[in-house]
Amino acid sequence: MSQHSHNININERFEFTGGLRTTLLVMIIVGVVSMGATYLFGGDDSNIRFWTNFLHNTVFFTGIAFISMFLLAAKVLAYSGWHTVWKRLLEANAAFLYVGIVLMLFVFLGTVLGWHHMYHWAFPHIAELNPELDPYCFDRIIAGKSGFLSIGFYALATFGFVGIWALCAFLYRRLSMAEDREGDESYSQHKKMKVISAFFMPFAGFTSAAVIWQWIMSIDPHWYSTMYAWYTTASWLVSAVALLILTIVYLQSKGYFSYVTGEHLHDLGKYLFGFSVFWTYLWFSQFMLIWYANNGEETIYFDERMTNYPILFWGNLLLNFILPLLILMRNDTKRKYGTLVLVACITFFGHWMDFFQMVKPGALHSSHEFHKYEEKCLGGGHHGEDTKQLGDAHKDDHGHGHADDGHGHDDGHGHGAEAQGAAGHHGGGFQLGFHFPGFLEIGTFIGFLGLFLFVMFSTLARANLVPPNDPYLAESLHHHVGYGGGNMEEHGHH
Amino acid sequence: MANHKEVLYGLYNDEEILLDAIRHANSKHLDIMDVFTPFPVHGLDDALGLEESRLHIAGFVYGILGTMTAFGGMSWIFTREWPIIFGGKPYLSAPAFIPITFELTVLFACVGMVVTFYTICGMAPGFVNPTLDDRITDDKFCIAFKVNGASNEEINNLKAFFKDTGAEEINTKTI
Repeated sequence: MSQHSHNININERFEFTGGLRTTLLVMIIVGVVSMGATYLFGGDDSNIRFWTNFLHNTVFFTGIAFISMFLLAAKVLAYSGWHTVWKRLLEANAAFLYVGIVLMLFVFLGTVLGWHHMYHWAFPHIAELNPELDPYCFDRIIAGKSGFLSIGFYALATFGFVGIWALCAFLYRRLSMAEDREGDESYSQHKKMKVISAFFMPFAGFTSAAVIWQWIMSIDPHWYSTMYAWYTTASWLVSAVALLILTIVYLQSKGYFSYVTGEHLHDLGKYLFGFSVFWTYLWFSQFMLIWYANNGEETIYFDERMTNYPILFWGNLLLNFILPLLILMRNDTKRKYGTLVLVACITFFGHWMDFFQMVKPGALHSSHEFHKYEEKCLGGGHHGEDTKQLGDAHKDDHGHGHADDGHGHDDGHGHGAEAQGAAGHHGGGFQLGFHFPGFLEIGTFIGFLGLFLFVMFSTLARANLVPPNDPYLAESLHHHVGYGGGNMEEHGHH
Repeated sequence: MANHKEVLYGLYNDEEILLDAIRHANSKHLDIMDVFTPFPVHGLDDALGLEESRLHIAGFVYGILGTMTAFGGMSWIFTREWPIIFGGKPYLSAPAFIPITFELTVLFACVGMVVTFYTICGMAPGFVNPTLDDRITDDKFCIAFKVNGASNEEINNLKAFFKDTGAEEINTKTI
């Protein structure tokens, strides 16, 4: 490695040039067109397909920005040195947090103004007991959670918590820029970065759970899992590492990052391998605890997915566990561009699919539920006739009735029955865009990816690719993991 | 040990000097018997041209063995040998077996690799493993040549090599 460091140019800057810019803009246009098409021709009146796609991608990419900031903070606090040469990528990823807040503003406005009905808890008056109305119109479980599952708390999490994350990312980035300009032996900027990180880590650790509960776990408001926040965060983490690998390989193909060696990629490959296993550990823990306890209101989440979404359910494990495990287990596959890029692509797409299966089934259920709810509880005046109009929803009504007027056994059994009824309700047919991503979903994904990369690359282009005054730069340039099997094939130093 | 080795070795104070010395020895085609360092030195494997360790292949085999032992064992016990219903679950309850399968996989792989590694390094009970110099476990870096039957000229050549490359001490020992 030492031969390298004498002739590298650590002052190089990434130039966000026409070709890449055009490609990304085309991707964004593809996304906008796909989203427009989904909105107009999505095939349902409440646009549930459009809104779930919007939420799914926003959460996925904002999460990658969040976890990049988290990695940045963790690495500064842990005195990590090896990441310094590529840490600007983390800073650039974190810049998407600002965009994420804006995108979530639309989801928030939609929740408040009733543009979409992804969130069962946000149905008007569902948490208010009104004796005038059918017992179906009052949901005891949602009422019990209404302190947290409320517009106010949703706003606090989405704009307050994420806003503070974005503020931390902004301050960190500003210090990093200042270090480039005026950094000296006192390392004062680096010390201040530590202070920000020391605040960010515990704050983000706790608040991210609340944000995740609000954004996606509350799509299934009767259900909850204490593993969910970790599970989701692990999903973001693997996606972020996969994206880092792909970005580094791309930048190297354009002639940048000659000093990011096989040693760095090997360690990122270990991250990809290790965090894929970590994700599986959380996936399985969540599954097994629920399977073992066998409570109806908990198992319904998996029963729904295993029965009606088997491709998503089992494909999730194949893409995010079996393939990375088998391909990256060997030492040398983490040092070969082909296998590393392959697994990075598989897991990046795989975790996008993971979020897809987290969002879609519950939201589809909520939108079905809303039609009945609207008719019975918001239209007013005709309860009693509903069994004729809503033949196959009969079980739902029955379930709700139990939960509400049967005070002796109102601890949620009714909702297990409700969810089961709903599973039967839309379990009959395969719906493109819900049971599996269609072209519109892929188009939306391409659009969001283009937007993310556009923000990321424009942030990256505003500073040196490598922080020249970082105290750990020399360590990073000499990073060596002590593997005897030779260097990356295209970067042999002999 | 039946065959004694006559060893000529030099001690260095710094790993960078050691690495330069090894490269120098390679360029002169000297046949290094072994190198001893108090801690892992980055780039030493490459300099010595050591091939990749196969220990992890052994680890994989031990791991698979652990997986099969745990999963096979539990499946046999709970379906044939002594079937018990736990929590209303089927006899063959794969999810319930996974944690123990995972633990035994890790246990077999770890213990198996440690035992294999110690055996390969001659550190198992019953092996005699003489050290050239106690200070190679502390602060000295050592290059050793085997000199059984070497001529005076060859030995002088090696001694000159040690002097040229900055060895602090040159010693011989029969082990």
